[in-house]
Amino acid sequence: MRSALKYWANQKLMTRSIIKIKTTLLDHQIAQMSAIAIGLSLIESVLPSPMPGVKPGIANIITLYAVYRFSFKTAMWVSVLRVFATSLILGQFLSPAFMLSLSGSVLSLLTLYFAIKLPSKFFSPVGLSVLSSFAHIAGQLILVRIWLIPHASIYYLIPIYGTAALLFGFINGWITYRLLQHHNSI
Amino acid sequence: MAILRKKITLKLPTKFFIGDSLIVLISLIFIVFAFKAFWHFETGSVVQVNFQGKTYGNFSLFQDKKISLMGKEGESIIEIKDGRARFKSAPCKNQYCVQQGWIHFTGQMLICIPNEVSIEILGKSKAYDSLNY
Repeated sequence: MRSALKYWANQKLMTRSIIKIKTTLLDHQIAQMSAIAIGLSLIESVLPSPMPGVKPGIANIITLYAVYRFSFKTAMWVSVLRVFATSLILGQFLSPAFMLSLSGSVLSLLTLYFAIKLPSKFFSPVGLSVLSSFAHIAGQLILVRIWLIPHASIYYLIPIYGTAALLFGFINGWITYRLLQHHNSI
Repeated sequence: MAILRKKITLKLPTKFFIGDSLIVLISLIFIVFAFKAFWHFETGSVVQVNFQGKTYGNFSLFQDKKISLMGKEGESIIEIKDGRARFKSAPCKNQYCVQQGWIHFTGQMLICIPNEVSIEILGKSKAYDSLNY
């Protein structure tokens, strides 16, 4: 019995194998895009904001870029990973800020899922970006309304957030459009 | 790689931005509508004066009137004129209530905590504010 165990241990030591995870092309795409998105998110978190919630959302450029360059699946992974990783780095995991970010991202992804079915002859990243940024702020406001501040007074903020969504959505969309044009990928 | 490339169905439009213009236009209309719907400030018609935790009385804004209240700190004078109301003078140290000046929109409020006096503009409908939540 003892010798058998020894033999087994020896065997185990001898044939110690290196665990190798097989990565697919999709994994590489997701990893690359997520890394850039997390970086942009972190840069953005340092920037001062005139009021809570009004942020440029430059990481969404990467989400949109991934939709056009790769696939919706990649974009979905990038967006969700970005939310989780950024909140872990900034120490806001499971805090209200994280929940708001997640709800915004989920609704914005849902909108993108339907928006990419629009005829691409007439709709460029600019329009899609505006749509998704509106969805993003809508997701956040819905969560604020039902969970954080269950009071009708937050409707006062809709015009301000709407203006910010249009402005930043447009700028982000334009940047994405220029990036895609520059890379001449499609 | 080839398989992935094939999946791409989205193309960049070269010159047509019709859809985008439509989206931007609709969002602009939505924003204007939102500003009108949520940021309409109604001019009030009645001022409610609260004194020492109780309603002292409701007074029409369309009159010239001075209300004098003797509180713990001293005399607070509320002035009503031209459809507006203000604290004309207050006995408190900071004078916050006096310095806020005239109020005339529904839901606006002036509060003097040391002397336990507050005034609020009332209208046809009660406006949203964070105080009465």
